[in-house]
Amino acid sequence: MHHAWIRVGRALRAALLCALALLFLVPFYLLVRNGLATEAEITAPNWTFFPRRLQWSHLTEVFADPNLPLGRALLNSTLIAVSTTLGTVLLASLAGYGLARIPYRGANAVFYAILGTLMVPAAVTFVPSFVLVSSLGWISTLRGLVIPTLFSAFACFIFRQYFLGFPRELEDAARVDGLGYWRTYWRIVVPNSRPVFAAVATIVFIGAWNAFLWPLVIGQDQEAWTVQVALSTFTTAQNLNLHELFVAAAVSIAPLVVVFLLLQRYIVAGVERSGIDD
Amino acid sequence: MTAQAAEAPPDGPGARGAAERERRTPGTRFLGPQRRSLWFWIFVGPFALGLALFTYVPLAWSVYLSFFDAHNTVTPTDFVGLGNYTSMLTDGAFLSSLGTFALFTLFIVPATYALSLALAVMVNRLRFAQAFFRSVFFLPTACSYVVAALIWKLSLFNGVRFGLANTVLGWFGADQTAWLSTTDPPWYWLVIVTVRLWLQAGFYMILFLAGLQRISPQLYEAAAVDGARPGWQTFRHITFPQLRATSVAVVLLLVINAFQAFDEFYNLLSDARGYPPYARPPLVYLYYTALGREQNLGLGSAGAVILALIIAVATVAQARWLGLGRKED
Amino acid sequence: MTGTGTGIGRRGLLAATGGLALTGLLAACGSNTGRGGGGSGPGISQWYHQYGEPGVERAVRRYADSYKKAQVTVQWRPGDYDRQTAAALLTDSGPDVFEVNGPTLDQIRGGQIVDLTAEVEPVKDDFNQAVLAPKIWQDRIWGIPQTIDTQLLYYRKSLLKDAGLEPPRTLDALVDAARKLTTKKTKGLFLGNDGGAGVLGGTPLFAAGLSLVTEDGKAGFDDPAAARTLGKIRRLYADKSLLLGAPTDWSDPAAFLQELTAMQWSGLWALPQIQQTFGDDFGVLPFPADGPHGAPAVPVGAYASAVSARSARKAEAKAFASWLWMERTDLQQDFALSYGFHIPARTSLAKKAARLRTGAAADAVRYATDHGHAEPLRWTTASRTAYQDALSHIIKDGASPESELRTVVRKVDAELARVRKR
Repeated sequence: MHHAWIRVGRALRAALLCALALLFLVPFYLLVRNGLATEAEITAPNWTFFPRRLQWSHLTEVFADPNLPLGRALLNSTLIAVSTTLGTVLLASLAGYGLARIPYRGANAVFYAILGTLMVPAAVTFVPSFVLVSSLGWISTLRGLVIPTLFSAFACFIFRQYFLGFPRELEDAARVDGLGYWRTYWRIVVPNSRPVFAAVATIVFIGAWNAFLWPLVIGQDQEAWTVQVALSTFTTAQNLNLHELFVAAAVSIAPLVVVFLLLQRYIVAGVERSGIDD
Repeated sequence: MTAQAAEAPPDGPGARGAAERERRTPGTRFLGPQRRSLWFWIFVGPFALGLALFTYVPLAWSVYLSFFDAHNTVTPTDFVGLGNYTSMLTDGAFLSSLGTFALFTLFIVPATYALSLALAVMVNRLRFAQAFFRSVFFLPTACSYVVAALIWKLSLFNGVRFGLANTVLGWFGADQTAWLSTTDPPWYWLVIVTVRLWLQAGFYMILFLAGLQRISPQLYEAAAVDGARPGWQTFRHITFPQLRATSVAVVLLLVINAFQAFDEFYNLLSDARGYPPYARPPLVYLYYTALGREQNLGLGSAGAVILALIIAVATVAQARWLGLGRKED
Repeated sequence: MTGTGTGIGRRGLLAATGGLALTGLLAACGSNTGRGGGGSGPGISQWYHQYGEPGVERAVRRYADSYKKAQVTVQWRPGDYDRQTAAALLTDSGPDVFEVNGPTLDQIRGGQIVDLTAEVEPVKDDFNQAVLAPKIWQDRIWGIPQTIDTQLLYYRKSLLKDAGLEPPRTLDALVDAARKLTTKKTKGLFLGNDGGAGVLGGTPLFAAGLSLVTEDGKAGFDDPAAARTLGKIRRLYADKSLLLGAPTDWSDPAAFLQELTAMQWSGLWALPQIQQTFGDDFGVLPFPADGPHGAPAVPVGAYASAVSARSARKAEAKAFASWLWMERTDLQQDFALSYGFHIPARTSLAKKAARLRTGAAADAVRYATDHGHAEPLRWTTASRTAYQDALSHIIKDGASPESELRTVVRKVDAELARVRKR
């Protein structure tokens, strides 16, 4: 009896999981279905589960549309996401290490000043930030899109927490060898902290690729649009091509989906071992 | 390392311990206090400077602008004292946007928390295809709010006959519903909340999975010996309490993210003529006031300052309530 | 020009000194005139919003190229154009000459726009007076109207006939027709996905014989007739006659073409596409009159060409704007009529336009001339937002029109008082 109940419970759980997994996949299905169907199939009164003939030509069509500079936007997004990730990880890890490991009287004050900015959502300061960036002449430039976003208090916080728990013995050994803070950091600490770097880099990269408000405000020229801004703009255009929009959206998430599927194991391990959840 | 990190509260002991240790280690000879301050600033300086320039300067500027009549200018001359604050605080639209904000947080935080915890518990117990299910739930994290909003608005929950939700309802003979345009009942909440649930749940599920794997199997064995039945009882008395640290982190992250809510609202509900007066969180309202056609930068800044204060108070209160910084036992 | 010019050269130096104090930044920004334009001589940048009709972009680039006195670079800007220009005018990376859905009163009062009175004065009387009026503030002219846009009610003749209906001439008839045309798969009327709050604006008030702002500077709808008329729009929504949540909005005829709706409120620009799909099986109407003092109404408005006060080359920019939008009537005619359907802003040109003399287009021009109402300049963005919010509350939430309008009147009177002072 008891065992039977457990088996029923297990089956129920599996069924529930399968149903949820299907639900989670529905949006991806819609993306592909709408992207590869004809406009008439999308807007037909009766639902077609999958287009009769897949319209692969939509892919070339979407890259050729002058109103949706998709190629340029993908390039911009890549540049921005990569440089933001590198910059953020570098700056935040250095700061996190300094705060965790270099004794300094004002360290706590600095730490709280950094932590305090977490309470001010970045977007609350967007008006003056925009003005600041525009007075620097950074509107629609890579600089303007990247530099102001490099200083992530969240990333710094994670690094600090991680370095507080970094095995001291390793560093002490380096000291004995006569290494200063700088060389200890690069030769001992960084190589032994790959999971936390991987985890933070992933989170920052996703955030940068998917960022919307800042690129919307700063990337005003069409040449400076990111994928997200280009898509959002296209959604509100006067004449809307549904299939083109969905194909463009599918293209925009493809790089991240591929990265996810290939690197998932490492990402998950990184998140699990980084101690983000502490 | 996580346990160690938790034991060192943000202030004091960690840094002080480091200082003591520093004195005992051989390398200290070469590093007097001045040298250490120098190294501290070499490590922390660039970050702190950038944060000051791109967060504190705009904040100060925002406060400055909020005391002026700044229409279409950032170097205003027309001082109005607290005028912008009184008009913001008596502006029904702004107050209702704060209400929207509170309501949204109340919806989304518990919903995401429950869903991601449930997913984690179920995936964790799987004997087969665990990686597959984990991937499926984690994959939406790769999507942006823009893409998700586009799918939701134009295909899943569009208001016409070829929307998926309306098609499914049609099979059961129901009328088509204009999900985003109906305020009575407020179906738009369903659309807004499900977008964020879909995008976020997988990420928090991973955090919970990590927490679950740290729970010692011996605890479960001991519970079984004590006669606790597997299922709800073990979950309540073992799993849930053991996940406390993870739960605190997840709730904090969820609330911080809810504060930033802008993307899905803007992409789901804005049109060429503006934004409807419902489901309009403060950031969207301020965006239109300050950066839209209205360009009332003084009023927008006053709103931003009020919002920042509210968030600061809420965060501190929440940290107290969750007992953050208290030593784990 | 911003695309290639910004962010190179002197601005790079500024970037390197990122830690400057606030005042320093502003001073530096004032002295920074590095607008590149590709670095080729005295260039002017000109901005347009994205027109939906194919060919317009190529045409405006051709106009710019044929101007000999200065090099003009055209920026074609899809997306939320009003926001883009509003933000860009705060900075030095903005345009020299730009078309604007305005200029808004606060742009003029804020000194962001250059006075064009001297340029327009000689042919002032040739402009359509309804659309020129909102470009004038304190007897100065701040923008040159380019073309007139208007909006209309499109309806399918066959569908109305099948339902035994006449084209609605009163608001009550419209409410009635929309209800009778609604079926399981097709709705009666499409006023935009927000139920009409955005696109209708003041049109129902005009149709009730009221105005947005009166001659003596008061809110023009402090009248029981306003509440009555807006209540009828609510009726449309409550009857479930309105199409809502379509993938495309009112500006795109797609919903009408896909037969999701039997009637749609849309722009004149949609007419060619509709004609192509339905041939003669459609007609156009103004917004129908309501009440004893009512009259049919359509909104009219014009994008204007304006010169930015931040421009480093104001004289050249003025000369170019005046050349294109005052002198070259041939190009103005080409712009208005060769690509989509727009009515030339100059009365003399509008009269010559053959395309606008037959069929539904002729009806549309007649409505615009006889029943056209433009939003007054003093109808500020804050007023519009307050009114739009109220309209949405009335339509969707069934809020009492009287009390909603009372709130709006208060807000609008405050705004009118604000712009009166100084």
